[in-house]
Amino acid sequence: MDQRIVEFIAALRAAGVRVSLAESADAFRATEVMGVLERNWFKSALRTTLIKEEPDQEVFEKLFPYYFGSGGPPLLNPTEGMSPEDADLLKDALRALLGDNERLKDLLKYIMQGLNPSQAELDEMGRRAGVPLSRQDYQQQWLARRMMRQLGMDQEFQELVRQLMERLREMGMSDEALRELAARIRANEGILQEQIENYVGQQIARQQAEQNPRQPFEGPDLMHRKFQNLSESDIQELRHQVRRLAARLRSRAALRMKKGKRGTLDAKKTIRTNLRNGGVPLELKHKIHHQKPKLVIICDVSTSVRPVAEFMLRLVYELQDQIAKARPFIFIDDITDIGAAFQQYRPEVAVEMVLAANPAGYYNTNLGYSLAHFTQDYFDAVDHRTTVIILGDGRNNYLNPRLDAVEEIKKRARKILWFNNEDPRLWGTGDSDMLEYLPYFDSVHEVSNLAQLAEAIDKLFDIYA
Amino acid sequence: MFESISQVRDALAKQQYIATDEIATVVYLADKLQKPILVEGPAGVGKTELAKAWACAVQRELIRLQCYEGLDETKALYEWEYAKQMLYTQLLRDKLSTILQDTRSLADAADRVAQEEDVFFSQRFLLPRPLLRALTCDDPSLLLIDEIDRADAEFEAFLLEVLSDFQVTVPELGTIRAKHMPLVLLTSNNTRELSEALKRRCLYLHIDYPTVQAELSIVRMRVPDLSPQLAKQAVEFVQRLRGMELKKYPSVSETLDWARALVMLNAKSIDEKVLENTLTILLKYEQDVQRAKRVLGEFKGGIGDMDDDEPRGNLPRYNPRRGR
Repeated sequence: MDQRIVEFIAALRAAGVRVSLAESADAFRATEVMGVLERNWFKSALRTTLIKEEPDQEVFEKLFPYYFGSGGPPLLNPTEGMSPEDADLLKDALRALLGDNERLKDLLKYIMQGLNPSQAELDEMGRRAGVPLSRQDYQQQWLARRMMRQLGMDQEFQELVRQLMERLREMGMSDEALRELAARIRANEGILQEQIENYVGQQIARQQAEQNPRQPFEGPDLMHRKFQNLSESDIQELRHQVRRLAARLRSRAALRMKKGKRGTLDAKKTIRTNLRNGGVPLELKHKIHHQKPKLVIICDVSTSVRPVAEFMLRLVYELQDQIAKARPFIFIDDITDIGAAFQQYRPEVAVEMVLAANPAGYYNTNLGYSLAHFTQDYFDAVDHRTTVIILGDGRNNYLNPRLDAVEEIKKRARKILWFNNEDPRLWGTGDSDMLEYLPYFDSVHEVSNLAQLAEAIDKLFDIYA
Repeated sequence: MFESISQVRDALAKQQYIATDEIATVVYLADKLQKPILVEGPAGVGKTELAKAWACAVQRELIRLQCYEGLDETKALYEWEYAKQMLYTQLLRDKLSTILQDTRSLADAADRVAQEEDVFFSQRFLLPRPLLRALTCDDPSLLLIDEIDRADAEFEAFLLEVLSDFQVTVPELGTIRAKHMPLVLLTSNNTRELSEALKRRCLYLHIDYPTVQAELSIVRMRVPDLSPQLAKQAVEFVQRLRGMELKKYPSVSETLDWARALVMLNAKSIDEKVLENTLTILLKYEQDVQRAKRVLGEFKGGIGDMDDDEPRGNLPRYNPRRGR
């Protein structure tokens, strides 16, 4: 059993669940306490010690039966509950029908005698069907069917069963006994199928674990890969990591805030601390400076910038508690206020909705006009405490960049930043107006991958920057 | 000490807490392995309640540490009682002068005072906060660390130290070891990701909104005055709300509040008028109330229609993983 648990943990790791050494040790202790007799308790014991994140439960639920399933329910013995005469009849009938039919020998052993296939037999069957080569979940059904067919579960077998029934009736078996027998044979077919499916699932999970003993999440790698080179599944993977990333950024932001030792004197705290000095204020205590940034985010959501915009919004909203206020806008050809969506729905939902409602590719990006429109209609969002962030590639389709609008924003805002997802070497080439915009911005960050984006966002919380 | 899992469940049931198999197993394991439990789940599904019921079931004192932003060691662990120390110094001035009477030099006097220093830095002047109390109290206790996700990351790190060794160091006194191992339960509303290290040290339990059956039995147990039929309607209504896209879902405790309100108002059935008056007990955002009313308005004839099991049109079902 211990070996099984070790393999199970390896499979969990291969599927991307983080299991530390300490946790696997806990799992062993827990299962010792719990025993293996009550399956549900055993399962709970493993789950509570190994799975520490709700989304990982799914993986656990999927893999558990492969390793600790009984491999499916046991086969029924068709002769059970039969009178000895009937059992003899069945044996005779089978012999008469088949003679020494080698091909169906195994299948009949399982179905007609209710003997469960041993592990060795399953391995042999699996080897013939090519199970050891498979590492893909979706091949499970197909491989199971293939194993069943190779065992001889096909039309011919069904025909054989029909003949068997007829012969038994001729030999004088009662209708009731026949019905019972037929039911058991049918049930056994289902059970055998289930056992084989479980076997295949288990083998695939194992082979995945062996092939991939390390955690497959290429976190650091993906974080440093350019947004435009990410596949859909990579992006999905990164979405899962956003929360974790946000947690890291948050604790950094919190730590920095602690260090803020300027500002108003905290009289109460000062008196309390200095009681030990007989009331002489040797140590001054200051109010912790919670100056949270106030943001206006203007995101380009045209095709090229889309993934960056999505992660930008997700990250900022995961960090809501560190931000005083955030007003999000998006643009392609014109500016749109998307604050309402964030007020009504939870951020993850809102991001998805906004992006779905504003498909890319139908319009031409017009940054200049969007900015000008912003200064006309939404300028109340900006005041002297606001940091304005423009996220985009600065490609303006040779339209008017409207530098006057940028200048106006710069005058009013505390700071104006640009997050650009393009390589700086490309700035100013083609229709990029980046170099013209450049002088107006307090700082410009390249955010071509998630790591850079996180770093740029992290800088927002630097109160002295 | 529990003997079996069913015993855990019965003991918790006696405290009016209905535990699923999962909960009972984890509590049993925590008891056996002496490990903290980390409970996560949406607000109001009875995480804190579990701690209370557990404490009563094992007859331990419940020591609660409520976390918040800015919580630090002095508020969680211990603090010197400066005022009391000052007061004692004042009162003992005469005694001090007799002790110092025959000293010749200043250095001599300082040495003499230093010898008595222990008096002022002793347990007498130590104000134990929840963590220290859980370690030092004479009877074994149950420590509830509530909403750990609200505390700062540094506090979490500090907590790790306490939870792994069950001992703390007070510089003036030395190391204080736990007299008894406290049972520990941490709760989190999952508003932020906790550190991996903390999760590693705990048994993990995720409590979700209960099923109709479970919630019904909770309502029946806690609000016995509500008629069974009305209780069923009420629970189904709440479950229905959880199936909608809302800002905040009604919690189990809100279901109970609502059930009590229904008893109080002597409601015979859940009709439009009753809903109009009481919906705000369940929903705390005006937008949610409006949305619920709009959707409910589509069901002419009120709540009666909601008992059927027809596919629920365009209403998304509650999905805890949504958005992950």
